[in-house]
Amino acid sequence: MKPPPFEYRSAHDSAEAVNLLTEYGDDAKILAGGQSLVPLMNFRMARPSVLIDINQTHDMTHIRADDGHLVVGAMTRQRVLERDQTAGSAVPLLPAALAHSGHTTNRNRGTFGGSLAHADPAAELPTVLVALGGELTVQGPSGKRTVPAEDFFLAPLVTSLEYNEILLSARLPRLPQGTGVRVEELARRHGDFAIVSVMAAVHLDSNGRADLVRIAAGGVDSTPIRLHEAEAQLSGTALDDAGIDAAAVAAADSVHPTDDVHGSASYRLEMVRVLVARAIRSAITHQKEGHR
Amino acid sequence: MTVGTPDNLASSTRGGVGQSPRRPDGTRKVTGQFAYSSDLWHDDMLWGVTLRSPHPHARIRSIDIGAALATSGVYAVLTHEDVPGIKYYGLEENDQPVLAVDTVRYQGEAVALVAADHPETARRAMHEIVVNYEVLDPLTDPVRAALDPEAPALHEHGNVVRHQPVRVGDVPSARSRADVVVTGEYEIGMQDQAFLGPESGLAVPGEDGGVDLYVATQWMHTDLREIAPCLGLPEEKVRMTLSGVGGAFGAREDLSMQVHAAMLAMHTGRPIKIVYNREESFYGHVHRHPAKMRYEHGATADGRIVYATARIVLDGGAYASSTTNVVGNAASLGVGPYIVPNVEIDAYGVYTNNPPCGAMRGFGAVQACYAYESQMDKLARELELHPLDVRRINAIHQGAAIATGQVVDTPAPMREMIDRLRDAPLPEAVDSGDVRNLPGGVSNTTHGEGVRRGIGYGVGLKNICFSEGFDDYSTARVRLEVVGGEPAVLVHTAAAEVGQGLVTLQGQIARTELGVERVSIAPADTQVGDAGSSSASRQSYMTGGAVKRACEAVRDRLFQLAAERFDVPADQLSLSGGKLVSEHSGVLVALADLLGDEAIEETREFHHRPTTGMDPVTGQGDTHTQLALCIHRAVVDVDVELGLLKVVDLTAVQDVGTVLNRVSLEGQIHGGTAQGLGLAVMEEIQLADGKLANPSFTDYLIPTILDMPPMRLDILERADPNAPYGLRGAGEPSTLSSTPAIAAAIRDATGLQIDRVPVRPHDIVHPVTG
Repeated sequence: MKPPPFEYRSAHDSAEAVNLLTEYGDDAKILAGGQSLVPLMNFRMARPSVLIDINQTHDMTHIRADDGHLVVGAMTRQRVLERDQTAGSAVPLLPAALAHSGHTTNRNRGTFGGSLAHADPAAELPTVLVALGGELTVQGPSGKRTVPAEDFFLAPLVTSLEYNEILLSARLPRLPQGTGVRVEELARRHGDFAIVSVMAAVHLDSNGRADLVRIAAGGVDSTPIRLHEAEAQLSGTALDDAGIDAAAVAAADSVHPTDDVHGSASYRLEMVRVLVARAIRSAITHQKEGHR
Repeated sequence: MTVGTPDNLASSTRGGVGQSPRRPDGTRKVTGQFAYSSDLWHDDMLWGVTLRSPHPHARIRSIDIGAALATSGVYAVLTHEDVPGIKYYGLEENDQPVLAVDTVRYQGEAVALVAADHPETARRAMHEIVVNYEVLDPLTDPVRAALDPEAPALHEHGNVVRHQPVRVGDVPSARSRADVVVTGEYEIGMQDQAFLGPESGLAVPGEDGGVDLYVATQWMHTDLREIAPCLGLPEEKVRMTLSGVGGAFGAREDLSMQVHAAMLAMHTGRPIKIVYNREESFYGHVHRHPAKMRYEHGATADGRIVYATARIVLDGGAYASSTTNVVGNAASLGVGPYIVPNVEIDAYGVYTNNPPCGAMRGFGAVQACYAYESQMDKLARELELHPLDVRRINAIHQGAAIATGQVVDTPAPMREMIDRLRDAPLPEAVDSGDVRNLPGGVSNTTHGEGVRRGIGYGVGLKNICFSEGFDDYSTARVRLEVVGGEPAVLVHTAAAEVGQGLVTLQGQIARTELGVERVSIAPADTQVGDAGSSSASRQSYMTGGAVKRACEAVRDRLFQLAAERFDVPADQLSLSGGKLVSEHSGVLVALADLLGDEAIEETREFHHRPTTGMDPVTGQGDTHTQLALCIHRAVVDVDVELGLLKVVDLTAVQDVGTVLNRVSLEGQIHGGTAQGLGLAVMEEIQLADGKLANPSFTDYLIPTILDMPPMRLDILERADPNAPYGLRGAGEPSTLSSTPAIAAAIRDATGLQIDRVPVRPHDIVHPVTG
């Protein structure tokens, strides 16, 4: 199918996009890479009456590492980010996660900010942001504000963006040199949406004790979930098998999945347990073996 | 050599029988240039859409079309009151309304039609139609529909479409002689044919009050017999032409948009195009019958089966479609390719408020095969025999009888097939350095942790051509004439090319029989006699047989002509390379010179040998035309912690009688195997209270190239003397046996029961026990 009729406007910078959003209100949607929005419109599951195209903006496409952080502009194409050496060395979880995000052709067009603002609870980039405690910078008519990732995602396809706000960029903490990362993503066929995903970043100090543990799960709740309890159990420990298994059980206890056609809630819970354990172990191996 | 057997020809005419000439439609399909039925266009056409019921079961209190009809751009809004003729149709029973009359019996049932000058206008107007429903409780449990007399009757004659028993010998006394007894309850989910080209077509009103229909279908003449009475027209005023078919697999045997488009065309006087989208397509065609099956087998300690019982309940959904014949297959093939001296089978096909189910590749035999093969594995375990040995001990062979008492009177080399499969090499251990080889593949969840390998086997027995006394035939018209100085053959049939390669095969047969390389296939339409359905693995046999026979008739006339002209006996003539050859004097004349301006045209019907019905009490009878065997071995790696799996190897042994086109044949075996793999591990229409939960290719999973391993094929040729060229139908058998082989391999890897397919990850991680 083709989408229902809509009006098209193009913004030249983020300020113009905000003005247009203010003008058209709730009926408008931002068009970035269009990899989620356009299929939704074609299936008539989304019917915005106005599309505000930000592909012509000049102030939203950048990748910068500064002050212990990585800052990525919302209009950065996912494939560019995936292959960017600055981003990959600062936050190795990013390219690892992006490799699972749709197919290469989707990532060629799809944008970093588009995936975050779309807020699919099973999507990769929101889960990375939540796992690493990223912050999102948002611009509205009265200026910018910064929102922690865990406060940005509210429900499936719902964020804390106001109708007249646009996502400008997101900031991620640089991971210590040698951090092991792992993305586990459960899908029955290549390229399908994740039924459950688990992302982990682990750093061991010189005594072999974990001085950084970050874990989040996607597809098992209404938003990506940071697994704080599991992180707390593992931090400062030597990450022995018993500890990992116990933390994995704690992780499963902290999410609230629902049934759908691809898997029951109980299956998803079990998968969180298995995948958290596998992700931690693989991340340790990743750190010990060094990066590719 | 006699005139009827030109066995010197296949080698001398390029692209004949036994070779694999390039498909005439192949390049266009691969490059996207082939015109499918959804590409049909007429400059004056309107677009038709169908309003469907949101409820699986409801009474219709009223339908208000006023607002829809008043929409600008709308030319017609029709309900059952506008059906010009009989309001009901069906493949076997006239039980399905063209448009719902006072009751809807499944979610998606057609209720009203709209024609407008733009598809979007038509869709918007459709949403303006107000239907007042009194929602009723749906009956969704087929076992209840079959056996509970208190269940509400969905049709006047009750809920049982057909109950077919099979009774052989004395099961109670055989039970006392059994050393081991195994029982099982098996369930099979609702599979979709998942063809890629959605239902679509064009209806053009004729000046004579009739209608021309261009549609993608499997059997135009049976469409015609259903359509014409609904339109109140004689059959000759409904002219059908086959348009490009984007796959069928049984789903196009029933009508979809045919009557609807014709009604709108007759009402508006304008051509009407209807194209379903993917979601509507899931509601717009029948699916494979889900089944609940209870089996018991007894055997002596040496592995011989002494009895079997089966209760097979097939969910036919809201309307009968081909349920009657699906039940016949499940009953007659209910214990499979095994010699079982005492049998009690009860097969039921029932009405429920689930989506209607009908034909799909394998047709009743698929469901039973999964159950009886699961039973064979249980027997092997109890008897401590290799799974292939228990099958070999009880295997049918030429001269043995199947459960219906029908004696297998043509080659049935099951023991040889088992021995060959046993000797087939096993795959190497997987290179786990490449995640694509592992369960979950590039989803990256498995790196060898928790992976266990299993091996399983399956054997299937499928009937080829129509059974149970149906006078099955096909018709071919063959014309030989000189075109541009060269002899050329035109073959005309009503047989549907649905992707299986029939057009290619018709050309091969004409080349072989007439020694002429230039062969054209006329568009399939109803201006020539019935060809029967492109189903039941029958078209190579039936339309192939008709084309062969028509070519023989043309050849006879050609020889007669030459015999008179050259004064040689007709029985000493043959055809080769476009020339007429005499046994004694070599080349007599080029066909082009012999024919001159004359065209030779002959039309012939081909009927297969007669079959009988099944006895209504004992199920006995010589009901099948031909029987075909396929055996699979599956090797599956299972990540038992995640419930993900990877089928790493599939090996098949199939007897095809004679290979007519090896490339096409291998494609059929690969495709049938893949569809069986889909049923084993992922393909299922999920229902909740009669409603579809996954009507999309995002949520209804079909195997991709990454889910299907490369196959090893071992193709046997044990000719069937009753069939043209000795062939054995090959489209379906591999669909039967791959499913139980994969299920058995999962069982072997996990130790789980696996008594339901498709096997979901959940079933491996959280098996239901007891």
